[in-house]
Amino acid sequence: MTTISRPRLIGPGINRVDGPLKVTGRAPYPNDFAYPGMVHAVLVRSTAGAGRITEIDTTAAERSPGVVSVLTHLNAGPLARGPMTPLGVSPPAPLQDDAILHYGQIVAVAVAETFEEATEAAYAVRVGYADEPAVLDLDDPRAKVRTNPWGRDADRGDVPVALAGAEVVVDETYLTVDNTNNPMGPLTTVARWEGDTLVVNNSTQWASLEGAALAAAFGIPEESVHVVAPYVGGGFGAGLRVWQHVVLAALAARVTGRPVKLVLTRPQMFTACGHRPKGRQRVRLGATREGALVAVQHEARTASAVDDDNFEPTASVSATAYACPNVITRDVQARLNVPVPNSMRGPGTATGNYALECAMDELAYRLGMDPLELRLRNDAAVHPPTGLPWSSRAHKECLERGAELFGWSRRTHEPRSMREDGLLVGYGLAAVGYPWFRARCSARATIRRDGTAYVCSAGTEIGNGAYTVLVQLSAEALGLDPGQVTFGLGDSTMPMAPQTGGSSLTGAVGSAAHEACRALVGAFTDLVADDGDSPLRGCTADDVEPADGALRRRDDPAVHESYRDILARHHRPDLSADGESTPLTADELGMAPAGAFGAKYVEVRVDPDLGRIRVARALSVIDGGRIVNEKTARSQIIGGTVGGIGMALFEETVSDPGSGRIANATLGDYIVPVNADIPDMQVEFAGSWDRANPVGTKGIGEIGLVGLAPAIANAVFHATGRRIRSLPITLDQLL
Amino acid sequence: MRPFTYVRAHEVGTALAEAEADSRADFLAGGTTQLDLMKDGVLRPDRLIDITRLPLHGIEERQGALIVGALVTMEELAADPVAGRRLPLVREALLRSASVQLRNMATIGGNLLQRTRCRYFRDPTVAACNKRDRGSGCAAVHGSHRTHAVLGTSEHCIATHASDVAVTLVALDAVVHISGAAGDRKVPLTGFYRTPGDTPDVENDLRPGELIAAVEIPLLPEGARSDYLKVRDRSSYEFALASAAVAVGLGADRRIEWARVGLGGVATVPWRAVEAEAVLTGSPADGEVFASAAAAAVAGAEPRPQNAFKVDLAQRTLVRTLQTVTGAGS
Repeated sequence: MTTISRPRLIGPGINRVDGPLKVTGRAPYPNDFAYPGMVHAVLVRSTAGAGRITEIDTTAAERSPGVVSVLTHLNAGPLARGPMTPLGVSPPAPLQDDAILHYGQIVAVAVAETFEEATEAAYAVRVGYADEPAVLDLDDPRAKVRTNPWGRDADRGDVPVALAGAEVVVDETYLTVDNTNNPMGPLTTVARWEGDTLVVNNSTQWASLEGAALAAAFGIPEESVHVVAPYVGGGFGAGLRVWQHVVLAALAARVTGRPVKLVLTRPQMFTACGHRPKGRQRVRLGATREGALVAVQHEARTASAVDDDNFEPTASVSATAYACPNVITRDVQARLNVPVPNSMRGPGTATGNYALECAMDELAYRLGMDPLELRLRNDAAVHPPTGLPWSSRAHKECLERGAELFGWSRRTHEPRSMREDGLLVGYGLAAVGYPWFRARCSARATIRRDGTAYVCSAGTEIGNGAYTVLVQLSAEALGLDPGQVTFGLGDSTMPMAPQTGGSSLTGAVGSAAHEACRALVGAFTDLVADDGDSPLRGCTADDVEPADGALRRRDDPAVHESYRDILARHHRPDLSADGESTPLTADELGMAPAGAFGAKYVEVRVDPDLGRIRVARALSVIDGGRIVNEKTARSQIIGGTVGGIGMALFEETVSDPGSGRIANATLGDYIVPVNADIPDMQVEFAGSWDRANPVGTKGIGEIGLVGLAPAIANAVFHATGRRIRSLPITLDQLL
Repeated sequence: MRPFTYVRAHEVGTALAEAEADSRADFLAGGTTQLDLMKDGVLRPDRLIDITRLPLHGIEERQGALIVGALVTMEELAADPVAGRRLPLVREALLRSASVQLRNMATIGGNLLQRTRCRYFRDPTVAACNKRDRGSGCAAVHGSHRTHAVLGTSEHCIATHASDVAVTLVALDAVVHISGAAGDRKVPLTGFYRTPGDTPDVENDLRPGELIAAVEIPLLPEGARSDYLKVRDRSSYEFALASAAVAVGLGADRRIEWARVGLGGVATVPWRAVEAEAVLTGSPADGEVFASAAAAAVAGAEPRPQNAFKVDLAQRTLVRTLQTVTGAGS
């Protein structure tokens, strides 16, 4: 790991570098792409929840005006399944047999000259089913169950003995429901074949995986797939897998010999691109009368699809949350006849933290102790499973600073003890941590003759501000003004990058870009190593530092030479270098690499008669390591806060009993917060430069959402005295 | 979406003639619900007769009533000064509906005729929907029905009527002016809607080819107290879980001289709660009376597992509204 001179902890909140393009409609999102001769594909979905297709009649559809092709399992031909990923297996290859695994499964694709014609043809496809009972309940004995599906179950100390001897025990069960990601941009694939090369414009959070999966599907080399996704209209995880519709768009393009556009409709977004799966969690906490945790036992059962192993480690949040000698965590996954789930902002952690932090609040009340005091008393000063120091941790600082900013001391402990304007007032808090995740990443940096730089990596921008912070990090590493740097993202021909997920993008791509920029500095010093005309002759990369478009000698900053002068004298149009970043393990670091930490404080107002709940204030204090851009970082946190309010009070993907048909698959029926539901949101950053990666950041993409649900549930209890142990908390539960 | 033809009518007579000539034709006004239903394959007209250019746009005060042209938009009526002063509950109901963008398109006539939000009705891949296809069954009864109706239901349909403003209009004894090829007629709004019974596909008194021309809303007497309260899961842009439209005249002795009560979000039609009005009329404005009135309003409710809370919520909503308008009983 190289070190660089450290900029301040909270970086300047420069405006998004892609802001003007976006607000003027010039940023090309996947569904903005169109090509001559392009046709449109529309999906036909199963109306059976489980069973087999007995017949499929496409005659009428094929005769429908404008129809070019109708694809079913009878004519799709073999397609291979995509690769194994860190987030689980790829979804099953589409249209391979007559098996129906869930309601809404894709059973045919109609391709026509216009979207409307394809839609009409899709209605005309007749499908007969032999229904079988759908397995939909987490406890259905017919469901296949996987224990310890992600190898993260924890066993520390002796929990049964500690629980039996605990002076105070909490043992409660919490329910969470299916939530659907619903990014604003409907997932879109525009696919075309240029000879043997497949080119796709696609809504993805992982361009490199997209290339590998499509190559696998069609049995072609990975180099023959070109994924282009410079802008994606949000994801929240929905773009982390290579979904069936992506493969089908490419298949339709191959079959028809025409470019094909496939845009998921909003109802299809509920079945075709993942969701946060429902779950049930039992949490047992044992403590001394003074509030020291002596035992934590956290068991979670979450749903997955029949042919899937979605990554949703839930109970495992309790392995690292608090200093406690005796810990058991158990995750179990039940495979049901439901659409393939997927990561949704804070997968596993958002739900696991919800159960744990509600249980902590219940423990505080059983102890008669301030819930804040209970958290502080059990702070995990070192990484609990290993005893290693954290690479950074300002958890206590977040809690304490939050209490001060929020006015926690004004809280009276008794439930229903605070009122204002005829409404019940409740304060709630949750402590949060987000697990560290980082993957290997590559980048390439180039400086051109005019002194400007271009840095690229195949990561994707999904509205998170990636372009902006990566420009800032690159500019800093090259000694340039951000205005002199352009960053390229979202193209599978760029150097390999991992997913925009797991709160890892800035750490991964930022570190790789940093290494590429450092290598580029080295390439410049190499170029002038024997250059008698250069004041930097004989310098190595370590002897110089970049500043003001130039390299200057560390031992004599007055001696410097600009990139432009070097390139001009050497008649080079530009100079490039590659960089790669590989995360270090805890052993290599001698530290536990830390994700973000934080504290969430919430005030709710509840109408005592009508049960209406309003979040009046929400405060997040986040230790995200170094914050590259205060403005985009704050946006991440307030966006997550809105999502967390949705999870707490509104969002539920409702399924029909018996079939699993999703009963509210529109944005009119699937309730998300509107502006009027969103309070004043305060965000503050705390902590220090993280020691686990060269740019000092920790991921903050997900921690904004995590903790809102328990903080709100705890505030509702404080306001009303009613402990609601399921989400979402709706007014009918408070009547 | 299948092809259809589109014609634009400029005179009421032409529009009616076009409709009479083609039984597969539908009128098109704001289209805010209708076009969605066409895109989803629920409505499949051969022909749309655009009536937005018909001369049915004005708002006029006449003989103690507001005559609102069928093509007046929701936002226009909400902004009308007479409505604001003399029909504040109508204005409140309008402003709690939809979004300003939708209210700028949606018309008052169309609002009264809007189709239910029941997701089984709106998804033609669900076979069982008596409202779409009489005799096919009702998927909601045993399906997901948290938002469905508890009043005016039948075993054949429990779909909720979604309008807010219609709840205030039934309470105010509004009258629908209807034009048809066979002549014009007037129908009180309370008699306009049909509860589902065993014909959920028949939603109102409108005959084929007829058109709503205007709605006549009697103005509230000076000194009347009124309000519309809408309770829903989120704070805006959502249909009611329960709503109450209340107008009362309060005597000097704090007795309720007269009362008009409508309930929304809980019934298959905009619900006039005459039983509640009977309890309130002549009674003192106090909490006990309000609770009795609310109980009377939902006495005939038929709750189902997921929407049983609405029986309670409707009463609480009505009581709160009565408290607000009378300043008593809290």
